Amino acid sequence: MGQLSAIAIIVVFAAGFVAPWLHRRLGDRCGIVLGLVPLAVSVLFASMVPTIAGGGTVEFRHDWVPSLGISIDLRIDGLSLLFLLLISVIGTFVVWYAAGYLHGKKDLGRFYLYLLGFMGSMLGVVASDHLVALFIFWELTSISSYLLIGYYHKNARSRAAALQALLVTGSGGLAMLAGILLLGRMAGTFLVSELNALDVVELASRPGFATILVLILLGAFTKSAQFPFHFWLPNAMEAPAPVSSYLHSATMVKAGVFLLARLHPLLSASPLWMPIVAPVGAATMILGVVMGLGQRDLKKILAYTTVSVLGTLTMLLGFGSEAAIKAAIVYLLAHALYKAALFMTSGSIDHETGSRDPDALGGLRRAMPFTATAAILAGLSMAGLPAMLGFVGKEYFYKALLATEGPGILWETLGVSASVVMFALAATAAWKPFFGQLRPTPKHPHEAPWTMWIGPILLAAASLKTGLFPDIAGSLLAQPAIHAVLGSSEHAITLKLWHGWTTALALSGLTVALGIVLYALAPRIRSFATRLAPLGNCGPERAYELLLAGTLGFADRLTTALQNGYLRNYLLTILLFTSALILWTLPSDIRLPDPDSLTTIRVLPVVVCILIIAGAILACLTQSRFTAILALGVVGLGVGMLFFLFSGPDLAMTQILVETLALVLFVLAFYRLPVFKNFSKPGVKIRDALIATAFGAIMTIVVLVGIGTGTADKSVSTFMAENSLPLAQGRNVVNVILVDFRALDTLGEITVLAIAAFGVWAIMRVRPRSNSRKKESE
Amino acid sequence: MNSVILSTVSRLITGLLLMFSVFLLIRGHNLPGGGFVGGLVAGSAFVLQMLAEGPRSARHLLGIDPGRLIGIGLAVAAASGIPALFQGTPFLTGYWDKTVWPVLGKIGTPLVFDTGVYLTVLGVACLIVISLAEEDGED
Repeated sequence: MGQLSAIAIIVVFAAGFVAPWLHRRLGDRCGIVLGLVPLAVSVLFASMVPTIAGGGTVEFRHDWVPSLGISIDLRIDGLSLLFLLLISVIGTFVVWYAAGYLHGKKDLGRFYLYLLGFMGSMLGVVASDHLVALFIFWELTSISSYLLIGYYHKNARSRAAALQALLVTGSGGLAMLAGILLLGRMAGTFLVSELNALDVVELASRPGFATILVLILLGAFTKSAQFPFHFWLPNAMEAPAPVSSYLHSATMVKAGVFLLARLHPLLSASPLWMPIVAPVGAATMILGVVMGLGQRDLKKILAYTTVSVLGTLTMLLGFGSEAAIKAAIVYLLAHALYKAALFMTSGSIDHETGSRDPDALGGLRRAMPFTATAAILAGLSMAGLPAMLGFVGKEYFYKALLATEGPGILWETLGVSASVVMFALAATAAWKPFFGQLRPTPKHPHEAPWTMWIGPILLAAASLKTGLFPDIAGSLLAQPAIHAVLGSSEHAITLKLWHGWTTALALSGLTVALGIVLYALAPRIRSFATRLAPLGNCGPERAYELLLAGTLGFADRLTTALQNGYLRNYLLTILLFTSALILWTLPSDIRLPDPDSLTTIRVLPVVVCILIIAGAILACLTQSRFTAILALGVVGLGVGMLFFLFSGPDLAMTQILVETLALVLFVLAFYRLPVFKNFSKPGVKIRDALIATAFGAIMTIVVLVGIGTGTADKSVSTFMAENSLPLAQGRNVVNVILVDFRALDTLGEITVLAIAAFGVWAIMRVRPRSNSRKKESE
Repeated sequence: MNSVILSTVSRLITGLLLMFSVFLLIRGHNLPGGGFVGGLVAGSAFVLQMLAEGPRSARHLLGIDPGRLIGIGLAVAAASGIPALFQGTPFLTGYWDKTVWPVLGKIGTPLVFDTGVYLTVLGVACLIVISLAEEDGED
């Protein structure tokens, strides 16, 4: 079974890679076929439900990088299974939905590649037991999210939103990687199952654990759009509706919450857990709904309520009590079901009417009966009305709040206020477009194709079914997940629709009453909020923009300073930097070689050296470019000659050939250069001469020190020489090093060579002719 | 640069240089030579051809786009490392066939790798020199 789940993840990725091909063959219908893949995967995971509900786990292990101790460990427990099912079931509907929503788009195949790639990564995140593998899948979801948000890549806003999401979640991911690595070092294992089974209290009390906690929380908070990183999520609504529905409400943004739940037994042992996590969650919860009230766009409203729900889940996990975890899991399941459906219906409204403004829509229930049914059912669940799973979730939420210690009735007030606004927003998003008077819309409204309403209807029906009979979902899905988060399976958990006349029920009644009042006021709040829009300029998003602009500006200035277009300055930079590095690393007591130990000086090398020096001096002094090139040729060939004299035939051959080709290149480049002129001022020339001499002197010292120490470790060269024939079947050590012992380096070198050649080619070919002429004449 | 002497000599020497370059490539594992030097010699053969007969002729003689040649060279070099993976050894570990062939000697993946180096270097030399010369000729 474990192996099957690994294969399932691979199949999802593979389906993504055949999607572009399938799209060319089948056109828009490819989506319906591709939807069968996640459907099959969800059937597979559904078949694991009895095993997991019985307290078991499904495991699979494959050593990936054994030398680093990294393995692909799949371990499916209750929490993983809940997410796996959400991802694959909602994924099926989203794939179908996209077939209708993006009907006729030429790059639909590419879209499915990203979407299924995301699905595979997300399955990997929730099924991985090894934190490093989890991190890799985590980053893959960020990358596929980037590609999906930027799907309308010709739209600048879309690109900016994609980049923002990537940068925010990516920086959080980096912090998380650091946290994971530190944690693995401290605990001695990267396996979540082992980490949670350790003596967590002892581990959490060690110094440095607070750093780990904060780093991992940064990863989770950015991913799950917690305050102050919440701003990327509403901006990500530039993505097509299926993406918003899937990534930015039901699955990916829950990855952060998932990680908090996954590591809950370990991390919550830290005394900092509750003081950090619960307030951040609460702030996000309130901020999300308040910002949502001011929106004039169905998708943005849904996005802000998603931010709010993510905050609620984070807050509940921060409380960490059994009641809170129970509430979190039920709330999470309820939210995934209704929010995915609502995002799809709002996308359908947009698609079929051309508008997403709640104040401009109304009376669509006759034109779009299926969409309306789905939206209204899902909206009831979002509003937390009885008979829906959302109601059950809210009841447990209130019970958890009542059970939590806090200053006065702080938590209860915050929770009820958030739910009141949520009620009003649910009515705006799910009720308002369908009832009242039919309004004129940019497009004549009609029902969406079946691919676009089947998913929302089924998801909304699931909200109703699990709401009416909560214990089915409770015992099969919620209970194992709750046990996994709590790290114990002591308490049997039953979910009930009716709890009797409790305080929670009273609070629910209050919520509905206040919610209806708020809904009546909502249009006025929206028009008022439009006037407050400039306030958004001082939020955390402004900090992001300033940081981004600052980084780009700095990079720009640095590049202009270093890459100023003057070869002379490049050489200057390189020489100065190298000199500084060498001087820094040279030992303080330089031992020059004993003159007696040196070999006797022969005549021929001395003659060659004199020629080289003469060539170099001539190249510096001459006023003719041609003479300079020839003089440089003398230097190069002289060096080649020295290689010969000191028995390095391979080097000599290469040097002479390179020298010859370089000469030809120089001559060819010659024609393109303007008349030789002397631009440098005497001062500059003296400076250059000083630097060049200093560099030469430093290199001489380095060589002398190299000879002088005499004790240089020769084990490497001895090894190469001795093993060249027995190990690598070759007698030419130079070549054996190049093609065998150090073949990977050579591969890198020829790649660099190739890149350089294409660079030259590009300079010659791609630059517009007129521009190149102008540059040269300057 | 239309010189009768140069073009007559280049006709003879280009072929010799190319043969010599292959010779260097093959013997490189035991004696001075190898793919890098071989590639440079072959490259200089085409440069000579270009100086004598012009860039178009050199391109025609090469018979393949130099850029493409670079790609093929890199692919060959990288591919020579793959058999090692099937043996469970690190990428680019050398494997040799023990039979000694006439002329070629022993054959192994490092020879294939060196051939990749040879092709890449040849492509690089031709690409740089020919693109410089062509820009020149068109003006």
